Amino acid sequence: MKIENDTLFLAGIYMKTTMKAWFQYRIDAVLRSIAVFLRESTGIIVIYFTLLQFDTLSGWNMSEMFFLFSLLFLTYGIMILFFTGLRDFGGMVRSGNFDRFLLRPRGLLFQLIFVDADWFAAIGQGGLGIVLFILSAGKVGIEWNIETIIYYVLAVAGGVLIQGAIFLILATLNIYLLQTDSLKELTYHNFRKFAGYPINIFHKAIQLIMIYVVPFAFVNYFPAQYLLRKPGAEEYSEIFFYLTPVVGSIWYLAAYLFWRISIRWYKSSGN
Amino acid sequence: MPEFIEVKEVSKVFKISKRSNGVPGMIANLIMPKYEKREAVRGVSFSIQQGEMIGFIGPNGAGKSTMIKMLSGILFPDGGEIKVGKWIPYKQRKDYVGKIGVVFGQKSQLQWDLPVMDSFELLRAIYRIPKDLYRRNLERYIEMLLMEQFVHQPVRQLSLGQRMRADIVAALLHSPEIIFFDEPTIGVDVAGKEIIRNFIKDLNQQDNVTMLFTTHDMQDIENTCKRLIILDEGEKVYDGSLMGIREKYGTTRQLDVEFNQEEVVKPIANVEILEPDETDSRKRRFVFESRNVQINDLMNELLSQYDIRDINISEPEIESIIRKIYNGEVVSE
Repeated sequence: MKIENDTLFLAGIYMKTTMKAWFQYRIDAVLRSIAVFLRESTGIIVIYFTLLQFDTLSGWNMSEMFFLFSLLFLTYGIMILFFTGLRDFGGMVRSGNFDRFLLRPRGLLFQLIFVDADWFAAIGQGGLGIVLFILSAGKVGIEWNIETIIYYVLAVAGGVLIQGAIFLILATLNIYLLQTDSLKELTYHNFRKFAGYPINIFHKAIQLIMIYVVPFAFVNYFPAQYLLRKPGAEEYSEIFFYLTPVVGSIWYLAAYLFWRISIRWYKSSGN
Repeated sequence: MPEFIEVKEVSKVFKISKRSNGVPGMIANLIMPKYEKREAVRGVSFSIQQGEMIGFIGPNGAGKSTMIKMLSGILFPDGGEIKVGKWIPYKQRKDYVGKIGVVFGQKSQLQWDLPVMDSFELLRAIYRIPKDLYRRNLERYIEMLLMEQFVHQPVRQLSLGQRMRADIVAALLHSPEIIFFDEPTIGVDVAGKEIIRNFIKDLNQQDNVTMLFTTHDMQDIENTCKRLIILDEGEKVYDGSLMGIREKYGTTRQLDVEFNQEEVVKPIANVEILEPDETDSRKRRFVFESRNVQINDLMNELLSQYDIRDINISEPEIESIIRKIYNGEVVSE
């Protein structure tokens, strides 16, 4: 118990320190958060004007599309608060700054998770997620009761874990490859772009990748389908709609094991 | 006294991937990566007692940093054994690193945008330093390193010397038993170097902490360390006192002579004649090995042939001896 308190205390100090570092220039912080918000909004604006012309996309209207997108942005905003250190891990290994973590009497992954938090990305993207949720949640016919709220919270947690697992795996690959930026672009960012849309509009191969390889389908499409029941839902097994927290946990556990094995190898082989 | 740090026949080999050019090369690399082996440390052994202060020197690439990384538990050795106190550094990382402090002169561990104190507070939590110990150490180090004026300033506003002092305190807040300094005075001005050297010396004497440090500045070593370990191309080439290095390698002598008028000096066997001051041709420097030339003979010869105003015998500086060791010009006898 004492150890747990101590770990929480350290996590708190870390968070205080990173917030202080990111927000010390207030105006700059506000502007940069807005910049992220606007950059990410361009995709939404395109959707908005497209749907003004066509009303629906594969049966999804404007509000429903916003709801689908909101899960994507919200989970990213939460995830990046904890995985900024892993996002930047490759650079730390290359510059040798990772050695400093090895010299501190704390768990390596714990340090990497708490050492930094990209608050601008979190506010910009998470904020966009919240705005889209507010704009759509009341208009998509979801009855918000205890059951749906619990489902929603678990789905968000699972979505955070899925993306965290992908970040952790990509970070770990840095140990072997030293440079994984293009791999991240190929896997994470490309499929995140697909994930903004109902996945049944894509070729079967893309759908399979988004379910089994880079499981973005579980971050927003399946949870949204569970709540909205739009056309296309019948194409997938009913169980997929419940699996987000499970997929998140399994993927994260697998990523964690990969990390543990790799970090042992890193220390024995040198840098 | 028992040995505190024991290093036995330690070696470390790095694999450096060899990249071929062009697309075919890239594909070949992916399928069958080629590695070049580089032995960074080769069969190095030494032992250190508690409270000793050791200077680690050697040219760039001699294996100093690799040695420090193995001693601090960051790297596994490929061969040999390292034991520090009751720990094996690379096996018991979390226990061990709480007992050591490491200062990398080239890499700060402070939060760039925040006041120095914020970094210290974070380290207090990381190392679980009890409040009273933290306060005591902080007060003491701040006073010893003359840091009162800048502990509340953001790190980015500090001069390099100030930043280095803050980094040293950051590595010592948890009262480590062993401290590794990797180039702690690099880029620091003369006054700053002096403060750092005095601090290191005082701390070693007052607290009996064991210290190892690497540097390229021989002044650092001359002012602080009694014992010196010289590495070259991964091997230990000297281990002993600073004075011992003169006895072992410093057989060169030099004689600085000032003549009363301009002279044309005739060559002398086994003596190198230099003009130390190009603007003053009345000055000459005679450099020779003490085993080849008797100093009395040389002086007699000079005094009998030339009109001499002043004469001065000196031993070579440590720095020049070490430069010769690096260059492979001196071999131990």
